Amino acid sequence: MVSRKIYVCCGTGCLANNSYEVYLRLKERLENIPQTEVQTLVKSTGCNGLCEKGPVVKIYPDEISYFKVTVDDVDEIVEKTVLKGEVIDRLLYFDTGLKKRLRSHRDASFYKHQHKLALRNIGEIDPTNIDDYIERGGYKALEKALTMKPEEIIDEVEKSNLRGRGGAGFPTGKKWRSCAGYNDFPKYVVCNGDEGDPGAFMDRSIMEGDPNTVIEGMIICGYAIGAHNGYLYIRDEYELALKNMQKAIDNAKERGYLGKNILNSGFDFDLEIVRGGGAFVCGESSALMASIEGNVGEPRAKYIRSVEKGLWNKPTVLNNVETWANIPLIILNGAEWFKKIGTEGNSGTKVFSLVGKVKNTGLAEIPMGTTLRQLVFDIGGGIINNRPFKAVQTGGPSGGCIPKEYLDISMDFDSLSEIGSMMGSGGVIVMDDTTCIVDVARYYMNFLSEESCGKCTTCREGIKTMLDILTNITQGKGQLEDIDLLLRIGETVQKASLCGLGKSAPNPVLTTIKYFRDEYEEHIINKRCPAGTCKNLTSYYIDHEACIGCGICSKNCPVDAITGKIKEVHVIDESKCIKCGTCFTKCPRDAVKIGGMKVEA
Amino acid sequence: MEVARRNNIDIPGLCYKKGVEGQGRCRLCLVEVKEGNRRRIVSACVYPIKDGIEVTTTTDEIINMRKDIILMLFLRSPNNEYISSLVKEYNIVIPERYLDKDRKDDCILCGLCVKACQSMGTSAISLVDRGINKKVSTPYDDASKDCIGCGACAEVCPTNAIKMTDENGKRTIWNRTFELIKCSVCGEYFITKEAYDHMENKLDEEKRPICDHCKKKAIAQKFKESFVNIS
Repeated sequence: MVSRKIYVCCGTGCLANNSYEVYLRLKERLENIPQTEVQTLVKSTGCNGLCEKGPVVKIYPDEISYFKVTVDDVDEIVEKTVLKGEVIDRLLYFDTGLKKRLRSHRDASFYKHQHKLALRNIGEIDPTNIDDYIERGGYKALEKALTMKPEEIIDEVEKSNLRGRGGAGFPTGKKWRSCAGYNDFPKYVVCNGDEGDPGAFMDRSIMEGDPNTVIEGMIICGYAIGAHNGYLYIRDEYELALKNMQKAIDNAKERGYLGKNILNSGFDFDLEIVRGGGAFVCGESSALMASIEGNVGEPRAKYIRSVEKGLWNKPTVLNNVETWANIPLIILNGAEWFKKIGTEGNSGTKVFSLVGKVKNTGLAEIPMGTTLRQLVFDIGGGIINNRPFKAVQTGGPSGGCIPKEYLDISMDFDSLSEIGSMMGSGGVIVMDDTTCIVDVARYYMNFLSEESCGKCTTCREGIKTMLDILTNITQGKGQLEDIDLLLRIGETVQKASLCGLGKSAPNPVLTTIKYFRDEYEEHIINKRCPAGTCKNLTSYYIDHEACIGCGICSKNCPVDAITGKIKEVHVIDESKCIKCGTCFTKCPRDAVKIGGMKVEA
Repeated sequence: MEVARRNNIDIPGLCYKKGVEGQGRCRLCLVEVKEGNRRRIVSACVYPIKDGIEVTTTTDEIINMRKDIILMLFLRSPNNEYISSLVKEYNIVIPERYLDKDRKDDCILCGLCVKACQSMGTSAISLVDRGINKKVSTPYDDASKDCIGCGACAEVCPTNAIKMTDENGKRTIWNRTFELIKCSVCGEYFITKEAYDHMENKLDEEKRPICDHCKKKAIAQKFKESFVNIS
């Protein structure tokens, strides 16, 4: 008799596209099938990464993956694939690079180049079922760790060269060792799950899709440094993560992985979830700890590190979700194994959330040292509509803009900070030629002006001043000396601010000026936004030579501002035009041009 | 910071006051610290001082940063007398286009009032909200039932941003009006009933209202008497 497993992706992206309905329908349909013909098992899993093409349904052992599945497809899937093992062609993934449909998602360019460590179980297990995790080797690392001496664990983590995945890249082993060195108890283990960068969702995906790996990593650390309590600080907006994590904690307690005398080792460790209040700044370690203590989420000066005086002034190890997810693998497979992945000094992998103007948006885990070009063009499939690549913003609001000259940069901590950007939590926002670089900087300053904690003058007032200047430039009120003022204030904010948020806040402004100064000058001198984003500085006109009179622009214009007979040159009436840019993107001959404040034609 | 001020070395600081734990908010007290071969810029009010470090308080880099910080504060509070005096003292050129002369905000969010309220009063005020919307206020901006009208917050404010008026035996502060009581010696209004009770509970000493001025006199009198008795 054949047995088939059907995995329905119920990550947040797929859920938003009704994947839970698909799951329920599949379950219902399969319950009515006599299990004597085909034995079936339906599971809802965490995020598969390729959110763009969700909901994703995978069928094992046939290795058939369906994308963009709707409730209406369920009957056909059951009849053809589940019962007979036939492939439904139209639901297969179409790989734009290979120009064909693929039976298994594993062959898709998006997945082929990935190397999954932190995401190893996600999409393959039901996150609410601890047995699924155990079946794939879960809690084996904990069993092994409890037979080791605490120093041996720290040695192993240190030798692996694992660096903090939250952004700064501080060596994890070194952090643990210094915390273990303080003879001050109780100590605490904290998980930073307050992921707040716009466009980043790697930690969310891990907490939702494989919560046990985070728990396992934290217990191992607790044993290594001599802590008996841990906290998971998870942002309140992550409802599913909170739910799955709580369930995982409860299950782990039932099975004796958490609580008193873990696996008869005599070691006690307990975990508690703290719900974040929704402040971006609480992702900063000292603000996060203040928030757990019940105080206002403001950072403090860290001349004394939190490994010495952290939570409640006690020695504390705080690591990011993704860092924790790597720990069990390092303990189980050893530091040498881990070091073989990635580059020297930047071992292992990094999960990136690839978003913006890229064909395949989603989560991609790649070995450190993979180039930006591979990430955007091989995994991401290139730019939407094959428009020209302009830049990427890495590391969220604290990161920097990387222009196309650096497409071959190695994606690791050191290379990225060398060019003024940073790894950050791993957000990668791809921009094409229709993204205005000044507007990007303005967007981030606007975000940070509201999300700075407001404690120190430079961060609070400096960001506001930069925002005012950038807003002026995007509205056509900029002057050339504004660029110097931006640089000056940016530099002071960078050097004089209290915490990491303030120190890195000017990065989007400073890097965009460094790499795209001409675009700033175009806004200021010629009062023109080359990307057509700043509406005050944009007008559209039709190039008479290039227009073939196809009429596509006038048909698509939402306000009927374009007139012209078929096969004759078309004209845009500027008084009616709302500058939406539809004609610009629709024109097959690139005859619609972007002008400045005044019409140039 | 304390060490520097004790030795008459001037490091400016708006959020620092003797007796209050350093906060690191205003950023004016930046200094350069050399420890071994490592140089870095730190805020003096929160940096734990230790033996063997070399501190420079006035490099060009630091002066320029202080200027920028004062500029930022001036753009926030252009009508504040004290900030304006700093602008003059440091000869700062103001980019007029970014100056909103109508801005009336005097508060620079140094947080001293909150600290004062914590230690002297009843923690009736706190820093609320974040980013550019941050401010000092009572819960939900209402007249706080915890406030005792002691005025410690207004006393420590470096920019006179907290409005407190004493008129006809009444004090108004933080949207609330208090009855004042008179000094039992000179008969002047000097304290709110609530603050007096609060102090009495805390100190458990004089059982009659007496203002600072008369208290000094009384203490001097006691001192004089004891001195007379000795000789």
